[in-house]
Amino acid sequence: MKKETLQGRRIVEGIAEGRALVTNEALSFMGSINSKTGYVIERGHELCGVCLQGKVLVFPTSKGSTGGSYMLYDVVNNGVGPVAIVNIEAESVVVIGAIVANLPMVDKIDIGRIHTGDYVRVDATNGRVEVWREE
Amino acid sequence: MRLDDDEQKMLDGAHGELVQKCMKILVALGEIYGAEKMIPVNNVHSPGVSYRVAGDAGLNYVKDASKMGKFKISVTLNTIGIDSERWKELGFAEDFSISQLELLDAYKQMGAKEMYTCTPYLTGNIPYYGEHLAWGESSAISFSNSILGARTNREGGPSALAAAVTGRVPAYGYHLDENRKATCHIKVERRPNTDREWAILGYYVGSVASKDVPVLTGMEDINPTIENLKAISAAVASSGAVALFHIVGITPEAPTLEAVLGEQYKMVTFDDREYQKVVDKFTYTGSVDFVVIGCPHCTINEIEHAAQLLSDKSIKADMWICTSHQTKKLADKMGYTAVIEAAGAKIICDTCPVLCPTSSKGYRVIMTNSAKLAHYAPGLWNVETGLIETEDCVKAAIDGRWGGIKK
Repeated sequence: MKKETLQGRRIVEGIAEGRALVTNEALSFMGSINSKTGYVIERGHELCGVCLQGKVLVFPTSKGSTGGSYMLYDVVNNGVGPVAIVNIEAESVVVIGAIVANLPMVDKIDIGRIHTGDYVRVDATNGRVEVWREE
Repeated sequence: MRLDDDEQKMLDGAHGELVQKCMKILVALGEIYGAEKMIPVNNVHSPGVSYRVAGDAGLNYVKDASKMGKFKISVTLNTIGIDSERWKELGFAEDFSISQLELLDAYKQMGAKEMYTCTPYLTGNIPYYGEHLAWGESSAISFSNSILGARTNREGGPSALAAAVTGRVPAYGYHLDENRKATCHIKVERRPNTDREWAILGYYVGSVASKDVPVLTGMEDINPTIENLKAISAAVASSGAVALFHIVGITPEAPTLEAVLGEQYKMVTFDDREYQKVVDKFTYTGSVDFVVIGCPHCTINEIEHAAQLLSDKSIKADMWICTSHQTKKLADKMGYTAVIEAAGAKIICDTCPVLCPTSSKGYRVIMTNSAKLAHYAPGLWNVETGLIETEDCVKAAIDGRWGGIKK
């Protein structure tokens, strides 16, 4: 196992860990996620058909409808959401959803260093992301 | 972050638990984005009002808030998940409708105005140039920032509620002069004429600008309609997170390119090739079972146009014309509603297919003139979508099929 530590910025405090789910495409929670099942439903999105449950969700930034804040809050409250969010640049719609959902969130991270399936520990309180990868 | 005495008292709990919780959210946002202070606001347009978006988590969030306090300033409500008056007649599911009405009751109890539209600027909530707002609804945000020159960030449901309870927003983002400069210069060679073409341009702008502030040139002598500007505002915020764009010679902060262009910017060209790429993304031909116009909600002019096209016709596909209940009243008075209904189409108020539950009719296709709806419908409704002109939408509804655009 190879470990790497990435330093970013705290958005919402807290600590969580799980397998990384990484996309290089911007994500909208409104219209792209089924909040009852946690599956991505945006056709053509590289994560379409993938479930967010228990994952450390890694994506560059968010886009789209401002309904995304409650949608993120709902998917987390339904127990099918991600356990933490890692962004290159946090965007307010998802930030607000993460604040009210108490979802650990970090940004200013070089997400190219994280791959889907890596084991990730997010210490959002200190803005730190630890990544373990099979060699 | 520097708070004044009132704001500090709110944060310390002197005005109760709800105000304190809301102030905490605003301070957290302010600190993330490096805000130095709070700005007073008098105007909130709240998103997250559709039960489809809010879900049970959002419903409980607002219900809890409504037990603890009221809005301090004027709040209008965004589009909801049902036609609030005719939901039974139109066949909206009862369970969903009851949860939706419960959510509205909670908002009303806090003092919100029952506007239920994504176009509040058409129905009485009209920001003035330079006014600081706390608005949600991505299409209305880009319209108010760009076309009206008001100032709002992209507020989600909880932050709009926080602003409504405290009368404050943190001073960051589009509230500040330095963040309103353009960081992306788009030369428009393929100039738009119809609402659909403005939407196609907007979809391109959103996808290249992402969350930058774009400025468009090459359109100085165009004299756009309010419908053109509504269409582009919705499109830029669907393919991207654009909350503010400038069009030189058209939008108020861009009398010239120099007035609005920042020091660092990227430059791209919107030409026939880029136009065609967006067109190709939303091309459908074949049988058509559902046609929708009114995303964002139709103006009275769009309803008039639809009535002219539908006059003495009979449609095969289902057709929704979505608008606000205020605009429908005017359409009723003008006789447009009767003409539209005689053709078999429906005027749907307060909601739209982006925010209402999917129909039990199992539609396979949605044809529309809206890039925003064409963008969201495949995921939300599990349908194919086609982005076509308003005249062609009506033609597709009459024929029950769409044969494609004649080259």
